[in-house]
Amino acid sequence: MVFSSVVFLFRFLPLLFIVYYLVPGRGKNLVLLLGSLFFYAWGEPVYVLLMLFSTVSDYIHGRLLGRIRGKRAAKGILASSVLINLAVLCFFKYADFLIQTFNTVTGMSVPLLALPLPIGISFYTFQTMSYTIDVYRGEAKVQKNLLDFGVYVAMFPQLIAGPIVKYRDVEARLHNRKADVENISDGMKRFCFGLAKKVLLANNIGELWVLVSEMNPGEMSALTAWVGIFAYAFQIYFDFSGYSDMAIGLGEMLGFRFPENFRYPYISASVTEFWRRWHISLGSWFREYVYIPLGGNRKGRLRQLLNILIVWTLTGIWHGAGWNFLLWGLWFAFALVLEKLFFGKILSWLPKAVGIVYTMLVVLVGWVLFALESPGRILGYLRVMAGMGGRLADAEGFYLGRQYGVLFLIAVLAATPLFGRAAEGLRKSRTGPAIALYRFGEKVIPAALLLLAIAGIVDASYNPFLYFRF
Amino acid sequence: MEEKRSAFFTIMLLSAIILIFTAADFIQGDRTFSETENKLLADRPEWSWDSLIEGKYTRDYETYLTEQFVGRDKWITVKTYLDLALQKQEINGVYLGADGYLIEQHLPGTYTDVEETKKLLLLDKLVKRWDATVMLVPTADNILTDRMPLWAPYYDQADFLEKAALQLGSEHYIDVYSALRRHAAEEIYYRTDHHWTTLGAWYGYLAWAESLGRRGDLYGKNAMQPVTADFLGTLQSKVNLDVQADSIFWFPETAEYPVTVTYDLKDIRSSCYEESYLKTKNKYGFFLDDNHAFIEIDTDYHNGKTLFVIKDSYANCFVPMLIPYYEKIYVMDLRYFNGRLFRFMEGYEPEEGMDVLVLYNCIHFLEDFAYLE
Repeated sequence: MVFSSVVFLFRFLPLLFIVYYLVPGRGKNLVLLLGSLFFYAWGEPVYVLLMLFSTVSDYIHGRLLGRIRGKRAAKGILASSVLINLAVLCFFKYADFLIQTFNTVTGMSVPLLALPLPIGISFYTFQTMSYTIDVYRGEAKVQKNLLDFGVYVAMFPQLIAGPIVKYRDVEARLHNRKADVENISDGMKRFCFGLAKKVLLANNIGELWVLVSEMNPGEMSALTAWVGIFAYAFQIYFDFSGYSDMAIGLGEMLGFRFPENFRYPYISASVTEFWRRWHISLGSWFREYVYIPLGGNRKGRLRQLLNILIVWTLTGIWHGAGWNFLLWGLWFAFALVLEKLFFGKILSWLPKAVGIVYTMLVVLVGWVLFALESPGRILGYLRVMAGMGGRLADAEGFYLGRQYGVLFLIAVLAATPLFGRAAEGLRKSRTGPAIALYRFGEKVIPAALLLLAIAGIVDASYNPFLYFRF
Repeated sequence: MEEKRSAFFTIMLLSAIILIFTAADFIQGDRTFSETENKLLADRPEWSWDSLIEGKYTRDYETYLTEQFVGRDKWITVKTYLDLALQKQEINGVYLGADGYLIEQHLPGTYTDVEETKKLLLLDKLVKRWDATVMLVPTADNILTDRMPLWAPYYDQADFLEKAALQLGSEHYIDVYSALRRHAAEEIYYRTDHHWTTLGAWYGYLAWAESLGRRGDLYGKNAMQPVTADFLGTLQSKVNLDVQADSIFWFPETAEYPVTVTYDLKDIRSSCYEESYLKTKNKYGFFLDDNHAFIEIDTDYHNGKTLFVIKDSYANCFVPMLIPYYEKIYVMDLRYFNGRLFRFMEGYEPEEGMDVLVLYNCIHFLEDFAYLE
């Protein structure tokens, strides 16, 4: 089930929350777990068993670790947990990619498995791994209650697209949490903003990218290519961060505090900064469970650069089983290494605007690698962007820019902290009218956005059938 | 305290939106048919374990919920007005042109050279075998260029038509494009529908008469009479906006003398106009009773001449104008015909031979023109 659907907004959401708030005490976790399993099974009626398997497996590993903590065997149990998680992830996500690569290299033709990717598998396997690792390290207590642990893994808000919540971040609240009126109201508002980002911004500007990505790069002007990749940059940002907002909002309504996942990444003045603002929960996961255990920056320059390379190779293929994702990760590793070595220093001397433009360029080239899967199309597209592919501008590029101009303007503003700061300014000013305006806006704006988003969701299925087409 | 109260109201407002529409959606019964979308709406899917495990059940259930959602038409209108507020000039593949013109979008590059050539060679075979005349009518985006949104891209049919003229030879090709271009400022296409108007067809008729050396003065422009003033066509359905309706005109002279019209070999009527359609949404069906595989028209003009028309729906308002020129007119829509075309035509060809006319708009021609010899 996705959040931006009629079935979620007008069936699942009201029912779950009414029951959740009515049921007292410990019963809430049972409601949340059953609801979450239903939520997942709605989209994955078979793979829900796989998720249950992962849950039970890591629960047992956790219990075992609790018994023999500190002993040598603990290492083996941790290894077993991590191996099982990675094996599941590899089998469902990377098997075909590996087979394909193997076939290309050897010239053989091992048949592909063609398994559909279980929704959210990359997210929940990373979550459960954080649990066993933390228990092994003694940074989290063993969870003896299977129900509480099940809630941690399956919890519907972040199950499908993050943020990746580390076990110890929610440990205390799994057992004992409270959502007061202000939490619920903040959560609801956050949800509405997220929904609007997804439905009104991402989906609409995504139409433009669909148009451009289907064109032949050979017949495209540079203007069209730039308009297209900007559209994609906004689509993926508002889609992903909107989803995170909805997850964080729903979590807050349940009494959880999920970590922030995005902090206006497109205003970053360096790639290093960009990755502190983009998909923060994934970056911090890799940092904590890969980069630092590998030695981080404590084992000399060379080792650090190697560690960066390893982390970004993994980050790349975490996003998808394809060479272009690997390339995408390495592209960022390259920029990050340069910034570590000397470029970061230079950037800090230059005006911030230069840094923002440079970062945007690196990121946009990254999106080309990310969004277009075949090497031919990627190269063709980059060539056109560089102005080496024929015309610099044509009517089509102007037309697309004109059609989506207002949306672009809104997207640019919404990608900066501007609106948030304006609201904050009103709230903190102690004058009566400003506060009144804030109080009015904080209710009416989310409500209006919610209504418009519903219109967007219903309209997406608008498909007049023209039987008298002739 | 103040904060708490404000938060409480926020919760009330936002939950009210969700709960009210949830409740209303439960109360409202299912519709089977949507007038606006002109289609059957999804039904509650049938439950079975198999369909659940395949993922089909939940998918269908979502379609069902969304298509039956309370106030569906209103929500769609809200979204359309939101798009307008964002200054968009195209909705659902339709350009919002100047003067209230809705213009169907056909993007450049939709048809490759090879596809164009294939269709033209197929047409050429028919033309050479039957010594046929061809009228390929450009769509509105190519003619009403002044009314298109600024910079709007369109599939340029002028190039394609040049190729067609060259392939078929000028004795077989009637240049409708130039005829319509000359009158681009007039009402030659509907504002809310993708067809040409009766006036547009009349300019086509003039080009036909001139090209074949026939009299072209049987009807004057002023003889056109309206039959309805509230036609909202297919393009209006696509954008679902409140726009000004079109009028449909006809030439009463074409019905002056009795005709016998036989639809699909069985259904015999005494007119090639069907007024009943004017009460439905599909008012263009007034001409030649909407779409039929095969129509035979017997006229009162006993000149021994026969015409065989192979056509799309653009011809529906055009064919009646040719009634005074022929004793018999056969009209064939290839989309509904599976037999061998040439053999079928031979069956209807009188000893003294017959004229053959192919009339399509360019897009329908490229999409749908196909036959077996």
